[in-house]
Amino acid sequence: MAESQVETHDLVIIGAGPAALTAAIYTTREDVDTILFEKGVIGGLAAITDWVDNYPGFPEGIAGLDLAEGLRKQAERFGADIRLGEVMSVTDEGEYKRLVTTDGDILAKAVLIATGSDYKKLGIPGEQEYYARGVHYCATCDGAFYREKRLVVVGGGNSAIQEAIFLTRFADKIDVLVRGDTMRASEVLQHELTKFADKITVHFNTTTDEIVGQDGKVTHVLGTDTTTGKQVQFDTDGVFVFIGLKPNTAFLQESGVTLDEIGMVVTDGLLQTSVPGVFAAGDVRSGATMQIASATGEGATAAMTIRKYLEETPEA
Amino acid sequence: MVKNITIFTTNTCAYCVMVKRWLGSKGISYEEVNLDQNPERQQEAFEISGQLSTPITLITKADDSQEVIVGYNLAKLAPAVA
Repeated sequence: MAESQVETHDLVIIGAGPAALTAAIYTTREDVDTILFEKGVIGGLAAITDWVDNYPGFPEGIAGLDLAEGLRKQAERFGADIRLGEVMSVTDEGEYKRLVTTDGDILAKAVLIATGSDYKKLGIPGEQEYYARGVHYCATCDGAFYREKRLVVVGGGNSAIQEAIFLTRFADKIDVLVRGDTMRASEVLQHELTKFADKITVHFNTTTDEIVGQDGKVTHVLGTDTTTGKQVQFDTDGVFVFIGLKPNTAFLQESGVTLDEIGMVVTDGLLQTSVPGVFAAGDVRSGATMQIASATGEGATAAMTIRKYLEETPEA
Repeated sequence: MVKNITIFTTNTCAYCVMVKRWLGSKGISYEEVNLDQNPERQQEAFEISGQLSTPITLITKADDSQEVIVGYNLAKLAPAVA
């Protein structure tokens, strides 16, 4: 039985990225009482990606921010209530789940975890010291401060290469440091990268060991050439780090929801977690492909599973 | 009591959109300085915040004291404009 004084909903979606917004489009369109909580950016990592080239339906690609805005508007058109706030914990109380939020306690019959992932940090000397003063994790936010400057980009995956290319709008010279002897970035992006050879130099087999500065400004990065074991130095005005993702699941520690060894949410094929009535979709889900198209597909699947769950759950 | 608010933004900054949306949802007006359109004001933004990051929100209170918030941080924004 829900407490009469506590705000109660059929569905609370935690997050407002592509998976969450797609689920909300489906559930609100079918009049499922739905609210969303977003503590960061509506649209998630998609919103801070400068350009999305592989989302179906946009033959010329689309700016990540525009895609996020489109998803938000579509969800709100059907009545999605997006709260700008945070869910601190989820507790299973049987028929209802209790969420402790910045809007107070909320009860929900069903919960969809769609909190996505954030960029990992390097964990090296200088990284914290120069955070936002030379060390960055968002090219679309901070790249404009590096007009006609020199930059280091750390990473060899899709995000690193795509953002390095974006940063050529501002920077004159970019050194990309890749730990391995190959890139994980797609063939398409690697081909695109060759068009920027005048500005971007890729250094394979190069670890990033320390970010060094003087008078409050980053001056260079120290690394190691792992083929020779020798220290290498890259003079730079700033460092952008894109070395992979970590799931946003810290708030689930006491929830009873099973996480995998790297903290991602484990679900079955219908996106149900280990706690009945709690579902997960998108980049936060164990086995996720970390693609926007996959996330929106999972959001739709989760919405249908949740609708069935709500239909089969007796009224309180 | 807030006298005025200036937000330094860029065209591609999603966190800037969030700060503007949040202030808008509270009915709070602000002046926007887009650093892509006004790159000559980058140094000013850096001197105000000490950081090379957007959004930078400069809140001037009724007593002319100022508070600077870098990023989209509701835990800091909400009390600063209260």
